[in-house]
Amino acid sequence: MKKGLTVLLVVGLLFTISLNIFAQDDIELTIAGGAVGEELQLTQKAAEIFEEKHPGVSVEVLSTPDLANDRLGLYLQFLEAESPNVDVYQVDVIWPGDLAQHFLDLYEYGAEEVADEHFQAIVENNTVDGKLVAMPWFTDAGLLYYRQDLLDKYDLELPETWEELERAAKTIQTGERAAGNQDFWGFVWQGNAYEGLTCDALEWIHSNGGGTIVNSDKEITIYNEKAVAAVEMAGNWVGHISPPGVTGMAEEDARKVWEAGNAAFMRNWPYAYSLGNQEGKVIAGKYDVAPLPAGDSGNGSATLGGWNLAASKYSDNPKWAAKLALFMAGEEVQKLRATEGSFNPTIKDLYEDEDVLKANPFFGKLYDVFTNAVARPSTQTAPQYNQTSELFFQAVHNVLTGEEDADSALAYLELDLQDLLDYPIAD
Amino acid sequence: MSRNNSSDLAKEEQRLAYKLLIPAFLILIIIAIYPLGQVFYSSFTDREFASSKETSFIGLQNYDKLLSLTIKKLPAEIDEETGQKIINPDTGKVEYENPIRVLPRKPYLYRPLQEFNLFGNRYVIGSADTDFIKSLYNTLVFTIVSVLLETILGLGIALVVNSEFKGRGMMRAVMLVPWAVITVVSARMWEWMFEPSRIGLFNMLFEKIGLTEGNTAFLSMSEYQLPSLIAVDVWKTTPFMALLILAGLQLIPNELYEAAEVDGANKVKQFFNITLPLLKPSLAVALIFRTLDALRVFDVFQVMLAQKRYSMASYNYFQLISGRNMGMASAIGVIIFILIFVFALLYIKVLGVETE
Amino acid sequence: MNKFRENPVQRTLFYIILSIIIVYLLFPFYWAVNSSLKSESQLSMTPATFIPKDPATNNVSIYWKNYKGVFANGSFVRGLFNSLIVATSTTVLALTAGSFAAFALGKLRFKGKKPSLYIILAMTMFPQVTVLSGLYAIINLLNLGALFSMILTYMLFTLPFTTWVLTSFFRELPIEIMQSAQVDGATPFQTFRMILLPLTAPALVTTGLLSFIAAWNEYLFALTFTSIDPSARTVPVAIQYFSGEFARQEPFGEIMAAAVVVTIPIVILVLIFQKRIVAGLTAGAVKG
Repeated sequence: MKKGLTVLLVVGLLFTISLNIFAQDDIELTIAGGAVGEELQLTQKAAEIFEEKHPGVSVEVLSTPDLANDRLGLYLQFLEAESPNVDVYQVDVIWPGDLAQHFLDLYEYGAEEVADEHFQAIVENNTVDGKLVAMPWFTDAGLLYYRQDLLDKYDLELPETWEELERAAKTIQTGERAAGNQDFWGFVWQGNAYEGLTCDALEWIHSNGGGTIVNSDKEITIYNEKAVAAVEMAGNWVGHISPPGVTGMAEEDARKVWEAGNAAFMRNWPYAYSLGNQEGKVIAGKYDVAPLPAGDSGNGSATLGGWNLAASKYSDNPKWAAKLALFMAGEEVQKLRATEGSFNPTIKDLYEDEDVLKANPFFGKLYDVFTNAVARPSTQTAPQYNQTSELFFQAVHNVLTGEEDADSALAYLELDLQDLLDYPIAD
Repeated sequence: MSRNNSSDLAKEEQRLAYKLLIPAFLILIIIAIYPLGQVFYSSFTDREFASSKETSFIGLQNYDKLLSLTIKKLPAEIDEETGQKIINPDTGKVEYENPIRVLPRKPYLYRPLQEFNLFGNRYVIGSADTDFIKSLYNTLVFTIVSVLLETILGLGIALVVNSEFKGRGMMRAVMLVPWAVITVVSARMWEWMFEPSRIGLFNMLFEKIGLTEGNTAFLSMSEYQLPSLIAVDVWKTTPFMALLILAGLQLIPNELYEAAEVDGANKVKQFFNITLPLLKPSLAVALIFRTLDALRVFDVFQVMLAQKRYSMASYNYFQLISGRNMGMASAIGVIIFILIFVFALLYIKVLGVETE
Repeated sequence: MNKFRENPVQRTLFYIILSIIIVYLLFPFYWAVNSSLKSESQLSMTPATFIPKDPATNNVSIYWKNYKGVFANGSFVRGLFNSLIVATSTTVLALTAGSFAAFALGKLRFKGKKPSLYIILAMTMFPQVTVLSGLYAIINLLNLGALFSMILTYMLFTLPFTTWVLTSFFRELPIEIMQSAQVDGATPFQTFRMILLPLTAPALVTTGLLSFIAAWNEYLFALTFTSIDPSARTVPVAIQYFSGEFARQEPFGEIMAAAVVVTIPIVILVLIFQKRIVAGLTAGAVKG
């Protein structure tokens, strides 16, 4: 057994040495990004283009877990250790506020010239105390998926308000059930208690004119009539047009109900669009996407999602790190990613680009949705956004499961947020 | 043997013992001292994780916030015109003041944890960190119920597998399958079976036998959450108990049973008079490690309930990663540590494990 | 205990209990196998089916692509290899250091035995998340390779376990065995190696198997320590890195297929070692 031990030690030692040998090149950059198959390949492709343009620089793409929480946990370990191992981080749209202190101000590295080309809402979201801490990379926003064939069957118009949606959903649901599909529901969405519910609920509330939980002046706005009404409305959907189980559904659960042909409407992100049209899917070719319905504000709202690129302060080559981030988020790479991987660009002009539209015909429709997308209040509540969001979605979830009524849930929430954030309550 | 000689022997034995302990202690010193020390230390500070903020020493404040409880009497709501107590027309019960108006807001905001009646008055228990107190409760219930079930089932399985029958070699492998499934994946597997529509196993089955309509969100309804998780954990870790007990059974000499047989003791008697007492030491160790794991339960809670309901360890994770409150997270770690220690001592005392 | 087969009623009862146990232990795993053989649209069928069926025709239709996907995934295959190295080394190291310590703690007389036992146990009492950042700092300081970092840090939960379980087993062994060996002129260490170790084979195999599986399944440490070195990723991490064509899409069928594939080596391992689990103390040995 002692022999085994020695062998083990030697193996370990060799391993360590071999790691150190590789660590020499002129400039070596590492970008930490998504693990998803195509996403990773496209990032690698873009990295190669960068290497070609800048001889002597090599770029390594480090895949990180797809689960946002695992990825954040990992980043925090790197940042806590002030590790120079990663130069550019792919960050969720809700992180810039929280992590700003670890990132370079890209305005100091020439972002000024290009910032205007990107969607305003995302640039604002990524600006912390006047510093641009991350470049928008690709975007995401909530959409309404609807079954065109069923609307036709029941002679219905595409709903433009939540009330119309509720009526249409009910009509179709009653009809399909009578026709023998006992698993059919009108509307599925993300009602589980997690970040996804924050996104959905923000859409109901904002479209109803109920604000964004905390406004940009750092005032708590959540406890108002419009917000209460919006949450109440969603609470009534459960068991009525949405399955009771919706309170346990995330994106993938909703997509499964939808793809089994068991829902008339679905709220989801753009990713579900191409998936539903794949070969062998029951609903292929039978659906389309539209902006989410409007509430009392008269407009629909879509929550802003997506990912950005930030350059680490702890990089050994901050200049190059910033340069890489800017290149990756630039028009060339975004176009590549849009045409080859359906990633929604953050550069406005690309939504009029012929090649992009040819590859993704539905992009044109999304333009308005993306320009008007609402950001979650992550920047104004930093560094407490995660706790803010947790309190928010738990309050909403309690209403959905019927444990609390909307009015008292939001009243409590207001007090909780006040205690957490120490912000005043808006008039 | 002379006195001198035996004390020499004793010294030699002692020296050998210390030498044998060196590898274990060396390894543990390298990997454990710093992280453990750091946890203890930062539990007394307001340190933020991955932050350049200055850290200051705040004494026991983290513990104070986590564990603060208060009880307040809830006054009945009085009708301003009549001066009478308001009675809810639907339920016929007295309406009480909303707890949030009664509970203190300084130095922390107390939130209602539980309301109860005593001598005709209504009281509310408030806590400064309800999520933590609830996570403590969840973890304790989870631990006690699942460890108890696992012990009983594990004992049963071990006894069965210990008998002689055809294919018992295969059975020993079958027995370990649940424990062998990767924890993170097994949680996902069960989550899939608990899916809130009929694509999930349980909803499909329950609908088939007419129990429900097949739309139960097991993991979102508070009454089903803990039972579901306990079911997962019992399935997953019963093999751990069973295997350790099975190994313990091997230590019991067959002669004892043979002798008992001769004395005419039946199987049940043999079990209580021979098996159980002689199994105590191995059972105690198995219980200690099982309880220790149950009190630190993380994966199942994190994957299946995430932020809907916490265990202490998953709340700890939330505080550290999402909240970045390293000081607070460390304090939670220390509380778990103390709890485990208490349980371990309890087992050692109750089951009479020698430590000398 | 072992001779129950006197009458057919008892015998039948025994086999009924046995079957219930087998179904209980294996059914969830069967469900994973079942799910791993379904395509995405088969997975979203209502009601769920006990065997993979075609959504349109309702005929049995088995979908093998998940398994192809798993084996085509280079990081998964490499992950199997890494896991094997890490789990084996962890087990060997934990059993070696653990049985040394357990011999001292279970059979030798020395001062400070009780504190030693408690200190060793205390090492494993914190939740993994809590000690992670401290451990990460140590690992960075020592600058060990990812594989070696995992092996070393897994000692945190395997070493106290092996030490405690083995101690309790050594303690149970009759002292006469040691005494008679000493009379024969064996040193205590020889007694340990030649007599005690073989006698505690069931305990060694049991703790070994349990530690091996614990190391095989560990996720959080592995995720963090291999983050910068993807070639060292173990299976649980590799599975977490499985992804669909699009972000947010979860390749559930492939994850289940991987879970099934990963469980097989363990089953084989148990089959190899299972005889040892129960072949420990024989009557003769005890009498010495």
